Amino acid sequence: MLKSANFRIGETILGLASLSLGLFIGFETWSTPPIAAQTVIGPGLFPALIATGLILVGLQLLYEAFLHRLQAEEFPELDWKAVILVAAAFASQLVLLERLGWIVSGTFLFVVSAMAFGSRTHLRNLMIGLLLTALTYLVFDYGLDLDLPTGSYIEDLIDLARGSV
Amino acid sequence: MNMDTLAALFHGFAVAATPYNLFWSLVGVTLGTAIGVLPGIGPALTVALLLPVTYGMEPTSAFIMFAGIYYGAMYGGSTTSILLNTPGESASIVTALDGHAMARKGRGAQALATAAIGSFVAGTIATVALTFVAPLMVKMALLFGPTEYFALMVLALTTVTAVLGDSLSRGLASLLFGLALGLVGIDLQTGQARFTLGISELLDGIDVVVVAVGLFAVGETLFTVARHCFETEELYQLKGSKWMSREDWRRSWKPWLRGTALGFPIGALPAGGSEIPTFLSYLTEKRLSKNPEEFGHGAIEAVAGPEAANNASAAGVLAPLLALGLPTSATAAIMLAAFQQYGIQPGPLLFDNNPELVWGLIASLYIGNVMLLLLNLPLAGVWVKLLAIPRPWLYSGILLFATMGAYTLNNNIVDVALLWIIGVIGFGMRVLNVPVAPCIVGLILGPLAEQQFRRALTISQGDASVFFTHPISLALIVIAVTLVLVPTLLRWRAARQAGEAANQA
Repeated sequence: MLKSANFRIGETILGLASLSLGLFIGFETWSTPPIAAQTVIGPGLFPALIATGLILVGLQLLYEAFLHRLQAEEFPELDWKAVILVAAAFASQLVLLERLGWIVSGTFLFVVSAMAFGSRTHLRNLMIGLLLTALTYLVFDYGLDLDLPTGSYIEDLIDLARGSV
Repeated sequence: MNMDTLAALFHGFAVAATPYNLFWSLVGVTLGTAIGVLPGIGPALTVALLLPVTYGMEPTSAFIMFAGIYYGAMYGGSTTSILLNTPGESASIVTALDGHAMARKGRGAQALATAAIGSFVAGTIATVALTFVAPLMVKMALLFGPTEYFALMVLALTTVTAVLGDSLSRGLASLLFGLALGLVGIDLQTGQARFTLGISELLDGIDVVVVAVGLFAVGETLFTVARHCFETEELYQLKGSKWMSREDWRRSWKPWLRGTALGFPIGALPAGGSEIPTFLSYLTEKRLSKNPEEFGHGAIEAVAGPEAANNASAAGVLAPLLALGLPTSATAAIMLAAFQQYGIQPGPLLFDNNPELVWGLIASLYIGNVMLLLLNLPLAGVWVKLLAIPRPWLYSGILLFATMGAYTLNNNIVDVALLWIIGVIGFGMRVLNVPVAPCIVGLILGPLAEQQFRRALTISQGDASVFFTHPISLALIVIAVTLVLVPTLLRWRAARQAGEAANQA
């Protein structure tokens, strides 16, 4: 399914991304005095080179996008709702993970993600999520001596419970 | 010299064969296969995801486990390619071609068997070659100064970028992105912080593991969820006889050997990777076969050769990694990151300073190979069950492990945030067809290359022509430039000829 209009969009996005990253790096390099001062043999050299490279590649990609030089490629059809759902669930980890702990937020991630994949067995997914997170919590915390978060809210609750006993 | 090597190897076996290390080898092999089997997870990601498991371990045992994971993941990956037609990495694409065709014809078990035995043969021979080539490379490395190292890294970066895939610009974009990510952190020469955007956790730089897991696991998951309504999986169950017929053996053994001969040297070249050997093996077997028309429809040679080539090149990749500290594949890049986490720098000094580690690792490769063969032939059915896990659970589980892996690196939510951002970028890369390997190799080689570059310039006191006056360096750079220019010129010529033909038609 050739959608040449989408091909240009894809290439353009890539080109713009590359261009903007290159400009960002260049700008940052120039605006940090210690770096900018030593651009010959110093911390500024590689950033300058990389920024230049990114800008050039970005321009090349934009050129290719607008001139259709390459064969038009298929742009696959995407279920954006599902992607956003999973991405949001994952992003929520950033807020939830250290507050509610691994077991709760991990299970949340599992269930929402499974939902995005089309699974309807929500209760079963909940069980599996709890099982996986609990298992990994035990193995990693006690078996391997790593530290998955218990969650600050949960710890507060535990303290409250202890306090009242 | 050979006696020294054999003595060292013998000592390595003594290290690797202790019950404690044998246990870890077994764990590595099993976990590697189990996770390598899961669709969409290639060896690079398998090693990255299993890194947290090794954090508490001492280096020698950890790396013995890694060696097992490394080889195991390749076995697992071929199972997926054959039965599910979703290769976990570009090198398995060739296996999927005829392997899956065999599965469709009900000959899946034979395809798996030829892949497993071929991998064992190739792996063993290639590991023997590694045993002798690695010390040789170390001797060669002593001729290398910063100038030569820099040129070598340029060559490695070039091949990863230019040889893969169709669009050079996309490969370059990926590479430059990886290099840019490598800039974040404290500059090693001057202690100056770069691009940390005021976030103190970034002072240590961005971890390769986070990037690898983000791009491979999270990006792949996002992509799969985006496509899940549109694609269904066909899983072929193993039916009928599990064993290879005499005919199968007859047709397989020479491809095994030829595949190994192709795979190891190309993998060992500080510029190789595993796509070239597998494709070359396929073409060679097709050329040499008495029934070339079978290729694409289930010719057993087309599985035997490329699989052997794949495993042989995997062993080959370890040569520059251990002897020169030069990673030539995404998986090697992650293993290098693992070394660095233990404060160990692979390279010529490694053989002198940590001989038990290096030779223990190499010895465990032999052991791991045997374990894999014993494990995989009878257990093929078990791995197939793993493939049958429904996608929602599989990928949600992958996300869980990815999160866990990122968090436990530094007990730090910033790594998870990075994982998320890079995952979204990885999704974008998948959609836009941008190769991922250049990014990973760029991320880890970038800082190293920069160090060598600045050292070289410091020694030559600012004279940049030094890269061209040193003969080895010049030769390497010329090869790198050729590798970039030749395909581009060929493509340009082909496009012109196509244009002329169209004009005349």
